[in-house]
Amino acid sequence: MQQLLNTALGGLTLGMVYAAFALALVLIWRSTRIVNFAQAPMAMLTTFVALTVIDAGYSYWIGFVVALLAGLALGAVIERFVVRHVEGGPEINAVILTLGLFIVLHALASVVFGNRYRSFPAPFGIRGIEVGETTIGLTGFGIFTVVAVLVVMGLLVALFRFTDVGLRMRASAFNPEVARLLGVKVGRMLTLGWALAALVGSLAALLIAGGSLVHPGYMDSIVVYGFVAAVLGGLDSPLGAVVGGLLLGLSLSFVSGYLGSELVALAALGILMAVLLLRPGGLFAQAQERRV
Amino acid sequence: MTTHDTRGTRPRRRARALVAGVALATLVLGACGGTRPEGGATTVGVTDDSVKIGGHFPLTGVAAPGYSEIPTGAKAYYDYVNAAGGVNGRTIDYLVRDDGYDPTKTSTVTNELVLKEKIFAMVGGLGTPTHGAVVDFLNDEEVPDLFVSSGSLAWGEDPAEKPWTFGWQTDYESEGKVIGQYVAKNFPDAKVGLFLQDDDLGADGEKGLQQYIGDQVVETVRYTSGNTDVAPQISALQSSGADLVIGFNTPSYTALSQLTSLKLGFKPQWFYTNVGSDATLVGSLLSRFSEGAVKGGASSLDGVLTTKYLDTVDDADSEWIKLWKKVWEQEGDDQPLTNYRVYGMAQAYTFVQALQAAGKDLTRQGIVDALEEQGGDFEGPMVAPFAYSKDSHMGTTGMRVASLDGAKVVPETEVEVTEIGDNPIEPDTSDAGKDAPPASGIPGQD
Repeated sequence: MQQLLNTALGGLTLGMVYAAFALALVLIWRSTRIVNFAQAPMAMLTTFVALTVIDAGYSYWIGFVVALLAGLALGAVIERFVVRHVEGGPEINAVILTLGLFIVLHALASVVFGNRYRSFPAPFGIRGIEVGETTIGLTGFGIFTVVAVLVVMGLLVALFRFTDVGLRMRASAFNPEVARLLGVKVGRMLTLGWALAALVGSLAALLIAGGSLVHPGYMDSIVVYGFVAAVLGGLDSPLGAVVGGLLLGLSLSFVSGYLGSELVALAALGILMAVLLLRPGGLFAQAQERRV
Repeated sequence: MTTHDTRGTRPRRRARALVAGVALATLVLGACGGTRPEGGATTVGVTDDSVKIGGHFPLTGVAAPGYSEIPTGAKAYYDYVNAAGGVNGRTIDYLVRDDGYDPTKTSTVTNELVLKEKIFAMVGGLGTPTHGAVVDFLNDEEVPDLFVSSGSLAWGEDPAEKPWTFGWQTDYESEGKVIGQYVAKNFPDAKVGLFLQDDDLGADGEKGLQQYIGDQVVETVRYTSGNTDVAPQISALQSSGADLVIGFNTPSYTALSQLTSLKLGFKPQWFYTNVGSDATLVGSLLSRFSEGAVKGGASSLDGVLTTKYLDTVDDADSEWIKLWKKVWEQEGDDQPLTNYRVYGMAQAYTFVQALQAAGKDLTRQGIVDALEEQGGDFEGPMVAPFAYSKDSHMGTTGMRVASLDGAKVVPETEVEVTEIGDNPIEPDTSDAGKDAPPASGIPGQD
């Protein structure tokens, strides 16, 4: 019973991190129609920025905010100066470019920050919460993770649904030419989309790093699982991303605990294939009438 | 070839022929440079005044903490020997390549070392999955593959199949037996959980443990290296009621299992393999969580049990440690001396012994024969003798159980030796643990 509970709680926190990462992918997809594979190393770079700030003696929260701002800036810079050149071209060009960025950023982090494992602090306790005699596998930081991701999801839904900027971002992504004719500054919207996505990516990276070990490759598996979660929920839907992340986190945690940890990656692949075969648009896909 | 430019074809072709000719000439000349005027066959990687060797190590990535220090220790010892004139007049030229603990990269760098750099021997190549990817290649190419830095049985149990490969450290099965016997004797009522890496490290260790405590094991979990979430595994151990957990895992996973247990409120007696129990390294990984949760530094593993086959840096009275300190002061960089560097130096010491045993006319076959004939009698830093013979290429045969107290590794038992399979465990009678280094620090020279 205790194992069931703890495995579920572990899956919940992990699922929330996948969800955060899936949210970042959804954000970029909605605002630029590009799947950004460089999301993981971008986010990883910002955690190392946070670690540098914390090592310099500042508090965790200053490091946290600096990392988020660094994410924002990095996303904007990469869109404006690198990705901009392939936007509007064939989609495969953008995909290959983000894969290339993946490698470059990785190498950059190894050169600048070194390649060893380092521990990353957590702002809350990393002991499980004690209920009577037993300790349950949920830490203060785990609760923070859940809350933070839900808040971000709410903000994104609100941004796209209720704000003018959100509407303009969607318009620029769906049809840049028409949007431009209607007076939307398309370039600026694309930059904003990347910046916000990178910020959410940084958040995911900070959440998974807290109270654990980091090294330049530590986000690589997360990008894969985040991608599966995003596809599971439908690349278009923030709510779908969170639900997808949760489902994936729980499934993988149970697979690891009851079937064997060597099957985790295989299970993720199985889930991805099942979704693509049965509901290619994802669980939360919008009606297909838009495709005329 | 199709070309639109017919005008330039002829001279270009001529130029190409010239380039090819020059290249061919260079090759021929280069090949000539390698043969000896006397007409004797040369040994690859060996000249009159040098011998070139190589090794693959994870200098980056998951397995880099700790392990990346091993080649720095070995390098320091080779430099120390070179400064004293080398072995048989030859200096040791040691090349280290980074494989990031990725078997694909191990193949690439090994190809480079063997085919391009033309090393005489591979020495100390690190890791079970990584070295497993190149061991057949090295044997096919007949390159001596000495002192693999891994305790898998695969290196030494069948010399007929891998005649060029030798193990060095105590193998994981023997270690499992020593641990199993200790637990059966000292914790007869313990409910034992096993935390195993999902490869030879875990499998060989388990094979040894099962011989002694098969009926005490209540749960066995395996983690995949690279997946840092071990909560489901630790949770399974906890709910099985295990009160003593034996881990055959790498140092990063010692840290992760400690962190996760803290999160789940799981407090068994821990017993880690020698491979995963370096308190200084694990402590440095855990140090950031010291605020109230984990004791800082090396003391975070206090009371944990492990095994030991080499003296460690904190054994201040050990003559070997005094030697390693001297070597490190003389040849090392400004980093502190660690147990991983000690491991590298001890391994280099054994290689120097092998070179000496192989004699002045160094050949690849010669060094293998010398190890089979004399390796079992080498006196060195290991607490137990090597198993080297015609029938076995397994490394050192024994170890002792110890407990951690800060950075100190305190012996709990005498040295016990055994061999793989169901051979019994016996107290060591060779006094290998009392061997002292020669004053010069170089084997065989006073």
